[in-house]
Amino acid sequence: MTPETLPGRLGWLATLRLAWRNLRRNKRRTWITAVTVSLAVLLLQLSIAVMIGVERQSYDNLINYQTAHAKLYAAGYFENREELPLDYTLTDLEALQASVQQVSGVAATTPRLAFQASLSDGVDQVACFGTGIQLAGSDTEVFRIPQAIVAGEYLRPGEEGMLLGSGLAELFDAEVGDWLTVLTKTRDGAYEALDLPIVGIVGTGNPVIDRNTFLVSLETARYMLDLQEEATEVAVRFSLGAREMATLRALVERVEQLGYEVKGWREAEADFLAFAAMKRLGSVAMLSIFVVLALVGVTNTVLMAAFERTREVGMLMAMGLRGGGVRKLFLTEGALAGLLGGAVGSLLALVLIAYLASVGINITALYGEMDIGYPVKDRMYAALEPLTLVVVWLATGLAAAAASLYPAARASRRPPVEALRHA
Amino acid sequence: MTVAAKLEEVRKIYRTGGVEVHAVRGVSLEIESGAFLSIAGPSGSGKTTLLNLLGALDTPSAGTVRIGDRTTQGLSARTLADFRNTHLGFVFQTFNLIPVLTVRENVEFPLQLQGVAERGERRRRVDELLGEVGLHGLAERRPGELSGGQQQRVAIARALVKNPTLVLADEPTANIDSETALEIMRLMQQMNERRGTTFVFSTHDPLVMRHATRLVRLLDGQVASDERQGGLRHDT
Repeated sequence: MTPETLPGRLGWLATLRLAWRNLRRNKRRTWITAVTVSLAVLLLQLSIAVMIGVERQSYDNLINYQTAHAKLYAAGYFENREELPLDYTLTDLEALQASVQQVSGVAATTPRLAFQASLSDGVDQVACFGTGIQLAGSDTEVFRIPQAIVAGEYLRPGEEGMLLGSGLAELFDAEVGDWLTVLTKTRDGAYEALDLPIVGIVGTGNPVIDRNTFLVSLETARYMLDLQEEATEVAVRFSLGAREMATLRALVERVEQLGYEVKGWREAEADFLAFAAMKRLGSVAMLSIFVVLALVGVTNTVLMAAFERTREVGMLMAMGLRGGGVRKLFLTEGALAGLLGGAVGSLLALVLIAYLASVGINITALYGEMDIGYPVKDRMYAALEPLTLVVVWLATGLAAAAASLYPAARASRRPPVEALRHA
Repeated sequence: MTVAAKLEEVRKIYRTGGVEVHAVRGVSLEIESGAFLSIAGPSGSGKTTLLNLLGALDTPSAGTVRIGDRTTQGLSARTLADFRNTHLGFVFQTFNLIPVLTVRENVEFPLQLQGVAERGERRRRVDELLGEVGLHGLAERRPGELSGGQQQRVAIARALVKNPTLVLADEPTANIDSETALEIMRLMQQMNERRGTTFVFSTHDPLVMRHATRLVRLLDGQVASDERQGGLRHDT
């Protein structure tokens, strides 16, 4: 016998039909419950979509302006990367880049030279990070700095000057054409100072770049640091559509043979990813409180329905419906109420998410100059993920069924003879 | 003579607020198959309790209740449910139909519970019963659209559709007018004769008592009298 044909059990179709019609007995009550659930689900779906969208924007931002998809270092550099040491540099860059380019999934590579420095306008002095970039094409194949120029222009090959983070520019109250003095220290500990004009101002939305970094040509950096044809890292961009983890694995295999280290952006930004995960978890947990409150409404609805239909339940049990069948009926009613509310909330969310995915939210208008904790510039966009919408909707149905457990169990435990006597 | 149900020295004691209530005190009764039996008695005499015991809705505190070849004592709630599902049909004073289901669906419900999977078979049996109780044209109506008498006919069809060993009717005429009550009694009588189904009623109603072929009177939880009678008959 199939579960549909076992005696004492009502098949799923018959249960669904009966549960659905039972929900329609008291339409007003059902709709009040569904509206409460729908509002909570709308809020949850919207928040999840915005969170996923902002996280994706953040990852793109990190890859486009800071970490690339992966970076190659000399052995020992990554461990000491906070100090930006000049003792672990890469040499023979052309051969290394040529070797890396052969890895399937790698689109472009570029050398960079990161160093500690101070900037001074003659009045104030600010500690920051300097980065030497290759201007003859390759840096722009890996990073998207030109797209982030908010004033002035990108450095031309051979040009002596700097691209200044927008936060630093604000701090110095500096504009394009102003001069700043770069103070740095060579590998041997000798101090160097160089006056450079501001050629462009960079606003990426990434605080590491905007508030702490200036960019100069690789040649200028080497000149200030008294280095030869060296770099502290080779940044790698993967091809569009390349499988990230597979490409990274292939890259590691290729480069580790040569005695270098490779770190993917996820490992380099592990702290940020952990922070994002925590924030995601915290936000979902907080918003889930609304859903839980809405589900209390489902519990109450099913409890009232079970109370009102006590005699009817007694009659069903007299006819031979087992306690499990009674539980199944009320759990289905709860689940349907949740799914109904969840569907309304998810459909409304779909419309709003579609709007926020194309138009976005103006961060400055919303938060002013406050740091939202994500490297995102100007607007944040929601991510329209149909699968997430469906998963949250179905989870609401499940949660609503769970919220009906107590009233369902209570109704099923009552002996039929008692239930039939119920006035 | 085949025995549909047998009670031997059955006692039922309830405890209400620390007080013991002896609802049934040592009742022994043998109900033959095809009986049309009425249990009568004043309020509190133990009629409903006895009907509940016969209906496997309750189990005795002492003694044995045998329906067909099976006793109900010591059975789990689940086994009792399966037992009721297979062997017993109920007709209630307040009809107790499922208001959100149509007449057809109400009558079909016990068959679904019994595991009759084939829809055509269920429909055939339901239509046959609805024809017998004179409700064929009302199959798609909801109970709320029917009169009290029509609702009770649906309840009778629902009780009979699974061909039970025993149909138990608790005050089946209490909520309908006397003319309709007469119609209902005629109908049950026809079903009893045509199908050979055993009917047991609990009642205050003299009309029901007059139709029964056996009248058991209870007083203070005991059998006060057990008489066989001709039973009022109607030409059909």
